[in-house]
Amino acid sequence: MIRWGLRYFVGFAAVCGLAGYLWLFTRDSADAPIRSDGYFYYLYAPSWLIYHDVSLEAVAQDWNGGVYPGGIERWPGTNRWLNRLPIGVAVLMMPFVIVADLLTRWSNLPRDGFSLYYQHAAALAGLAYFLVGLAVLRRTLSRYFAPAVTLWTLVAITWGTNLFHYAVYDGTFSHAFSFALVCALVELTDLWWAQPARRLTAALGLVAGLIVITRLTNGLLLALVPAWRLTSWSQVGGRVDDLWQRRGAVLAMSALAAAVVAPQLAIYKFATNHWIVNSYAPYGLGFTFLSPHLFGALFSTQRGLFFWSPVLLLAVAGAFVARGWARQVLPAAAVVFALNAWVIASWTEWQYGASYGHRAFIDSLALMAIFLAAFFTWVGERPRLVPPVAAVATLATALSVVQMIQYWLRVWPVRDTTWEQYRALFLTFR
Amino acid sequence: MTRTRLVAVAALLVLGLAYLRDPPWLGEVTSGMLRWEEDPPGTRFRWTIGRASFFVSSAATGMTLPLRAVFPGPNGRPVIVRVFVDDRWLADIELPRPEEWVQTRLPLPRTATTRRFRRIDLHISRTAVGPFILGVMTGEIRLEGPLS
Repeated sequence: MIRWGLRYFVGFAAVCGLAGYLWLFTRDSADAPIRSDGYFYYLYAPSWLIYHDVSLEAVAQDWNGGVYPGGIERWPGTNRWLNRLPIGVAVLMMPFVIVADLLTRWSNLPRDGFSLYYQHAAALAGLAYFLVGLAVLRRTLSRYFAPAVTLWTLVAITWGTNLFHYAVYDGTFSHAFSFALVCALVELTDLWWAQPARRLTAALGLVAGLIVITRLTNGLLLALVPAWRLTSWSQVGGRVDDLWQRRGAVLAMSALAAAVVAPQLAIYKFATNHWIVNSYAPYGLGFTFLSPHLFGALFSTQRGLFFWSPVLLLAVAGAFVARGWARQVLPAAAVVFALNAWVIASWTEWQYGASYGHRAFIDSLALMAIFLAAFFTWVGERPRLVPPVAAVATLATALSVVQMIQYWLRVWPVRDTTWEQYRALFLTFR
Repeated sequence: MTRTRLVAVAALLVLGLAYLRDPPWLGEVTSGMLRWEEDPPGTRFRWTIGRASFFVSSAATGMTLPLRAVFPGPNGRPVIVRVFVDDRWLADIELPRPEEWVQTRLPLPRTATTRRFRRIDLHISRTAVGPFILGVMTGEIRLEGPLS
């Protein structure tokens, strides 16, 4: 039964995702799938494919009379458009958008980049990458954990957090794409340290580059590659030697990653005359590293990661009881998670706008899944703990699903939720 | 994948493509248009963005397209709406007075088509920028011909 469930888990998630998608986007009150941040992530795709334009000028002229809604500004000095969001999501969406474009011609729909097929292709791309991420994560976890542990970890990560929401409701945002890429990073890094085959080196370089251009701050997660399975300071010297011995592969990997990032830098140079730029500067947004909102980002009713996805507290417990492979991964994962949390909490807009739960942490859920699995393994070895932990995990996951549906029904405020509001709206659907 | 499965997938693909060549629901599809609204006298309208598309029956021989600029063009000049049918230019409609509905009757060219619907594209010469980007108001379109 467990093996059967694990085998068909991704298919089951796909069916649930499509059902949720159909329910959300066939309602009269449904918004278009390409909206909000999703619009800015997607914008490059029609500009390149349909308007043959890298400057973003053609879409502005054709759709908006030469302007954009807030989110893209003309850079002072060059007067060129600078999209605050990077190109990676559009790159990853491109196969879906090409199919949509061909179907659009076939059905005689307007080839404007935003008509019916483009809208759904962009959103379903997010759902597809989420499923790929789950399949890769299943593969990684299955190598080190029992099938039952892997299955329940996948269930908890998918529905006990806001991951499913960002694959189905906001599939044009970057998070489903980043989730898949980080799952691939973890899997490839683990395999590469076991055997540095050329195909793994190439794949790791490609994924590293895509991670950066999908969400620039996720470049931090690439620290996992050199630090993978380092368990003490005394091993650092040996790791430097290992990297030196693999210098050819490291160079090839870095060159490939740099080649993937190069178009983003070229776009910055074209738009601003600078290779590296804070694309949020025109909006007065940036980092406040000396005063991060750590409590807010992790525990608050407004947007706290653990408040809205309490099942992840079990992953924190897992960090303390992890053994074997998970224990070896812990130092690198913990450092990367802590740095990532600091960066997320230091962002001026630390709530990350209108969203369900804290969306910035979705990208690193692959790391948290390892420690959730470690916790379930530890509990599995203590039969008396299984019933209460199973009850807590099930309740936490069910609560997350209910709260996600409340968000879909627009019950929750989209930001700044207070404890009083939370209590008043708890388990209400109107 | 077995040969039977390959044939089944290919057959499904061909059937799907044949259906999507001329789907019956296309007449309901629009692009670049906001939701229907109603102004106080009871006139239903939709805002366009800078460009908009909708479909009309291929059997229609003409249509009356109600348009209202609301916001003037640059320097008070008229707003121009260029109308295309299946990517071919049909007419330029001038909206000189922003508050006035302009009802333009447009003959639809009788070109041979095997499709149920023709695509009408509107390109608006200016947009008004506020919380939303707005082109012009379009009212309810009246079609002429056998199926109007």
